Amino acid sequence: MTKDYQGDDMIVAKKVNKIYPNGCHALKDVSATVNRGEVVVIVGPSGSGKSTFLRTLNQLETVSSGSVHIDGTDMYAKDTNINSLREEVGMVFQNFNLFPHKTALGNVMLAPLKVAKRPKQQVEDEAKALMLKVGLADRMANYPSHLSGGQQQRVAIARALAMQPNIMLFDEPTSALDPEMVGEVLDVMKGLAADGMTMVVVTHEMGFAREVADRVLFMEDGELLVEESPENFFDNPSHPRLKQFLSMVL
Amino acid sequence: MQTQASKILWNGVFVAILLSLCGLIYLSGEKIDYNWNWQRVVPYIVNNEAASVAAPQDGSITSNAAGHLQLVSDAGDLLVDLTDYENITVYEGDLVFEGDQLASSEQWRIGPLTQGLIVTIKISLFSLVFAILLGLVIGLMRIADNPALRKLAITYIEIIRGTPLLVQIFIVYFFIGTVFDLERFTAGVIALSVFTAAYVAEIIRAGIQSIPKGQMEAARSLGMNYPQAMVNVILPQAFKRTLPPMAGQFINLIKDSSLVSVISITDLTKAGREVVSGSFAPFEVWFTVALLYLVLTSSLSWAIQRLEKRLAASD
Repeated sequence: MTKDYQGDDMIVAKKVNKIYPNGCHALKDVSATVNRGEVVVIVGPSGSGKSTFLRTLNQLETVSSGSVHIDGTDMYAKDTNINSLREEVGMVFQNFNLFPHKTALGNVMLAPLKVAKRPKQQVEDEAKALMLKVGLADRMANYPSHLSGGQQQRVAIARALAMQPNIMLFDEPTSALDPEMVGEVLDVMKGLAADGMTMVVVTHEMGFAREVADRVLFMEDGELLVEESPENFFDNPSHPRLKQFLSMVL
Repeated sequence: MQTQASKILWNGVFVAILLSLCGLIYLSGEKIDYNWNWQRVVPYIVNNEAASVAAPQDGSITSNAAGHLQLVSDAGDLLVDLTDYENITVYEGDLVFEGDQLASSEQWRIGPLTQGLIVTIKISLFSLVFAILLGLVIGLMRIADNPALRKLAITYIEIIRGTPLLVQIFIVYFFIGTVFDLERFTAGVIALSVFTAAYVAEIIRAGIQSIPKGQMEAARSLGMNYPQAMVNVILPQAFKRTLPPMAGQFINLIKDSSLVSVISITDLTKAGREVVSGSFAPFEVWFTVALLYLVLTSSLSWAIQRLEKRLAASD
């Protein structure tokens, strides 16, 4: 893999378009930059393309046109190995997507063992440290089906962190949770942000956006309409569509 | 929720129906002009008919240092050691000639039905292993993005499922077997595994497709490539889900193996046919053959149920 440049731009997406085979134009010329250590929150109504955009950042969705650079590496360059690039980019899903046939600890250990091929003892020690970090040291031997939604999502975060990524993507991490469990997941995410992790978060948690985000992006109909600091975003919304959206969700 | 009392009642009804069915079968068996004789079947399963040991050439009986009798040739070579035989009919110092009986032994030997059973087990086991491997490959091809692989798999499945196994056995044995000079047993195993693999492939495909898409996405987002994600994440889950239909397919395989008797493989069914013509006890023999198949299939389904229970730990 060749790095085109060195710098603080961890994610650079330029003119990203996504057109599905059925003709649906999901992303229209979306350009965004995320700096090292920055927390960027994307909000918008459902169907606005925010999840689709997030998924182009680790190529779970391929783009129809445009470019994506991760830490200086062009994702679509011929000599780019997408699997090793994905090791740099952890992802947390709305529905957790834990591996049901593995214990919580097994979920965290799987990728470091099978992909990074690190020594077992080291992987186990690191996985236990991560479980401690997300507050689940006493749930390591449980299977996902025996964990609550909030616990499952925290395991999923630990699993993504086990590959020691530089970037974490969160795709509506609290949307499938019961209200009383949202807090525990957001707390873990706040901790990550405080540690300086580069994060892109798609969420409906406006409180989290206001408190943690360095920048907030507003998307609608596949277009990136607003890119603002949280203060301006919430207190002085300029774009009429954003005003309308905020009046409905706040 | 049923009460304890009604549970006992209906279990009793079940036993009563089963018993009366058995009674009906017994009565109809009595009614026909047939001489039931189950004893006649036993020697075809195991027998201990006396087998005699004859002298291979002229010699004399001597006793060795340990006091055991043995047959020694005129030249002084040891011919037969009689230590292991029970009914020895010669004494020390006897001169014996070639063909004389030295001893008879009553050893338990397996009869032709048991030999047939062993052949059936062997052919089923071989076919099972090959069917799983081939079925896995075809199943993975069936869901591949590559149109060539996918269409090859679909063609294979359609052809194999669309033609009778009996016809396939004939084609494999008479055509492919002639081209490649195959033995009967090999031809039988090939026909059975190719046939079963088509069904196994569809079961595996359905199992893989029943795993939520998010599992593959989660695995890929962790940096796994497609084969790693399949082996570590998708297939272990699909395996668990496909166990019940697989059990049915493997039971079918054991039963289908009876068709290889048409190419003169002496499996349980062919052994049964041969024993019928020798024993003049067709009803008893066929009931016995059915029972032996039932023992095979039920132990298999028991084993798979055990496996299912063990894998249920993560539910």
